[in-house]
Amino acid sequence: MIARRAVLAGAAALAAVLAAPALAHQQKRAISTVAINPRSGAIEIMHQVPVHDAEHALRVQGAQSPDIIGSAESREAFARYVAQRFVLAVDGVVAVPAYVGSEITGGSLWVYQELPAARAGTPIRINSQILTDVWALQENRVNIGSGAGVTTLIFTAGDAAQDMLLAS
Amino acid sequence: MQQTKGSFEDKFRQLDEVLPDPSTTRNASGAPGHEYWQQKVDYKITATLDETKRRLTAKATIRYTNNSPDALPWLWLQLDQNIFKRDSMAELTDAFGGPGRRGPKVSLGSASEPTKLSMDELRRQQAMADNEYGYDISAVTLMDGAALPHTIVGTLMRVDLPAPLAPGETTEFAIEWAFNIVEEDAINARSGYEHFPDDPRKGGNDIFLLAQWFPRMVVYSDYEGWHNKEFLGRGEFTLEFGDYEVDLTVPSDHIIAATGTIQNPDAVLTAAQRQRLETAKDAAAPMFIVTPQEAAAAEAGNPKGTKTWKFAATNVRDFAWASSRKFMWDAQGVKQPGAENETVLAMSFWPKEGGDLWKKYSTAAVVHTLKVYSRFSFDYPYPTAQSVNGPVGGMEYPMITFNGPRTTLNKDGTRTYSLAEKMFLVGVVIHEIGHIYFPMTVNSDERQWTWMDEGLNSFLDSVAGFEWDPNMPWTRSVPRDLVSYMVSNQQEPIMTQSDSVTNLGSNAYGKPSAAYHLLRDTIIGRERFDFALKEYARRWKFKRPTPADFFRTMEEASGTDLDWFWRGWFYSTDHVDISLDSIYRLKVDTKDPDIDLPRRRAEKEAEPDLVGIGLNKAQGLPIWVLENPGVRDFYDTNDQFTVTPKDRKGYTSFLEGLDPWERQVFDRAVKEDANYYVLNFSNKGGLVMPVILGLTFKDGSTQKMNIPAEIWRRNARDVAKLLVFPKGKELVQVVVDPDWETGDADLENNHYPRRIIPSRIEAFKDEASMDRVSRDLMGEAAGAEPDKRK
Repeated sequence: MIARRAVLAGAAALAAVLAAPALAHQQKRAISTVAINPRSGAIEIMHQVPVHDAEHALRVQGAQSPDIIGSAESREAFARYVAQRFVLAVDGVVAVPAYVGSEITGGSLWVYQELPAARAGTPIRINSQILTDVWALQENRVNIGSGAGVTTLIFTAGDAAQDMLLAS
Repeated sequence: MQQTKGSFEDKFRQLDEVLPDPSTTRNASGAPGHEYWQQKVDYKITATLDETKRRLTAKATIRYTNNSPDALPWLWLQLDQNIFKRDSMAELTDAFGGPGRRGPKVSLGSASEPTKLSMDELRRQQAMADNEYGYDISAVTLMDGAALPHTIVGTLMRVDLPAPLAPGETTEFAIEWAFNIVEEDAINARSGYEHFPDDPRKGGNDIFLLAQWFPRMVVYSDYEGWHNKEFLGRGEFTLEFGDYEVDLTVPSDHIIAATGTIQNPDAVLTAAQRQRLETAKDAAAPMFIVTPQEAAAAEAGNPKGTKTWKFAATNVRDFAWASSRKFMWDAQGVKQPGAENETVLAMSFWPKEGGDLWKKYSTAAVVHTLKVYSRFSFDYPYPTAQSVNGPVGGMEYPMITFNGPRTTLNKDGTRTYSLAEKMFLVGVVIHEIGHIYFPMTVNSDERQWTWMDEGLNSFLDSVAGFEWDPNMPWTRSVPRDLVSYMVSNQQEPIMTQSDSVTNLGSNAYGKPSAAYHLLRDTIIGRERFDFALKEYARRWKFKRPTPADFFRTMEEASGTDLDWFWRGWFYSTDHVDISLDSIYRLKVDTKDPDIDLPRRRAEKEAEPDLVGIGLNKAQGLPIWVLENPGVRDFYDTNDQFTVTPKDRKGYTSFLEGLDPWERQVFDRAVKEDANYYVLNFSNKGGLVMPVILGLTFKDGSTQKMNIPAEIWRRNARDVAKLLVFPKGKELVQVVVDPDWETGDADLENNHYPRRIIPSRIEAFKDEASMDRVSRDLMGEAAGAEPDKRK
């Protein structure tokens, strides 16, 4: 048996609402895509988070009246949070993606980041912990590549980073 | 069935070998069979809520009618509250930090990070340690008081009958029970209490949401016998219809919302409240039954003993209720001329924390839902439709729903809400009230097939959302929204048992909703889809459909073989990606050398010169034949396309050799001189789909063409299609799925000629460059012209 130290997590989590996961409320999932743009060669990173989840996460983090749809400030605050919770290392070096922007489409908040060019096949290491500090049920999916050749990594709270090869 | 030679893949294989055989209870067209049966269970319940101890004590008489052709030696009941016992299967199999966990945040440690327990998890652990949850079953007896042997198996209980219950027979027995009500926020459940410590009343107040609160009969069906699958928390419920008489004793100042209608309003409502309720039936807008002032007074006061509210409900599959002194209550009558319930009371109950958000939108959303959903199914089948605010995010029961969105309390004491919160309230009320149609009336098996009610309901709630306000950013679940899920290699087919699905939101809500949008707007068409869906709802109203009944009804009523569609969307994890690989243009050869050869000459001349000859010319190199004119001959003045008498004779012979019908066809084709194009498609995603084409012609005109999915029936990987357009209609561009109807994952290969499709980020950057924020709107408004030199 390996003894493991148990500690209290620092942040108090929002009381999870675990009724029927009607899509009109918290879905507790984020889907990210990491792919090379074949034209520019840049690594494009897109995060899709349900608007409701994003707004409640901001409230958990202390925002008094978050308004993801109506307030650019709320949106940008969440985008900064997403950037902190998504860790990507390219070829062994922790990357600092440039923040491109965010928008709302189809009930989702999209957050965009990008990195300078890298070749397909470059080793990458990823950990998506978006909102895992808020809800135990949070399950994040990261699609590597685009089109028909997508490989998906799944992350839940406390998962270690996973290794993959970059794809376009 | 397996293809053992070659690589043919039959995407159109009929589902007969997969679906259960039709029977006398469920026929081959998807309708209830001529011997369809279902059990009936009637309940008479009396329950008392001990507010201080947060404990419910109750007894029930259950009248069970065996309509099956089988003798039943025992009956099974569902003891859902037992999921909260410390040794329940749900608790014991709750993986720490694992995916799909129903509970507060924990995280498994790693070499560099300690294992973490959140405050919420500790709170949950402490609540579980401090309280005995789950049912205390104190008696199970026959009506004469004789004890009935019973065996509890987790969340199930078997009651052994003195003698098998014969077909057509009815039995009655009684159960007495009690349980401690869980704190919803601490335990995480589908019901429970919420405490408000800051209320003016000493000790604060509670809202109680009571669901899964009585032993409910397990379903005994024609296709599965007893449905005794343990309640693990995610897979919801499978229930029988019956009539309920329920007496609820609560503190005298509580207001109760419940399944059914109040039988003793004189005893529980004031004269003013009764009058308001009567007036509300004809009101054009929601009006208060319990006013904010009355609720505020109750919230600050104390009860004077208890009151017993009596409710009755007919032909419902469940009973739920809510109780609190915090509730405001409004109502508005919805008229359904000619329906069984000509006036339905749409009602909402909420505490001050719901604020104006609830006052403006909850009951309004209930009214809107009834109008839209009834159009797609049947008249709302019950006398009330209620939305109650409490600690549960969103749950549905017959005639009553629990919905979570609230206002935010500001430092200055005001309450406000964001546009998103408004959208969530309207959205969740539509969704949960919609569930009263599916599955509360069209009674599908939620435990086994979440998608049957959630998929259909997500589809209909998006339809209702668009009809509420198309400009709201709803979670709409149309095909283009599901692409990132459907391309993933980590997913399960929709036809997977609910407790085993890893991403239930996308799998059971979003993907089937997208499939129905696609069927309705693209594949079948609105008229036939709506007819078929309404027929499914009509056939299975107050009955229990299975997936096969749904699939068969939709095909039979729409007149469309959709086996390929169910097979691809519901039984596989393929996605949509159709590529237009190439286009070949063909011209009819007239065989007339005086027409064809000059044309071929023109085509030849249109080809670019050889690069080397051009370079020679540029270099000024001499041409031998030009420098030696004396040796020129016939071939220097006639090329390979010169028409000869032999050519003309051959043409005449060709015409003479044709049969009369061939000559007729040939002459017409030559005369029409149409444009022929062969388009080559490949299916890269696996899902066979209609090939929707956006065509643009040289003359600037456009045309949309829908080639049915059956084009893929003999080769699901590559197909070619001949398109013919009249003379003068020359194609210059073709786009597959130009309106993004199918959820095609790769748009770049949809275009011919190929077009660069900007990535999502590139498109965002382009739009951002047009952002009005960066423009000098003040200057523009004043009519100022920018100085372009600066």
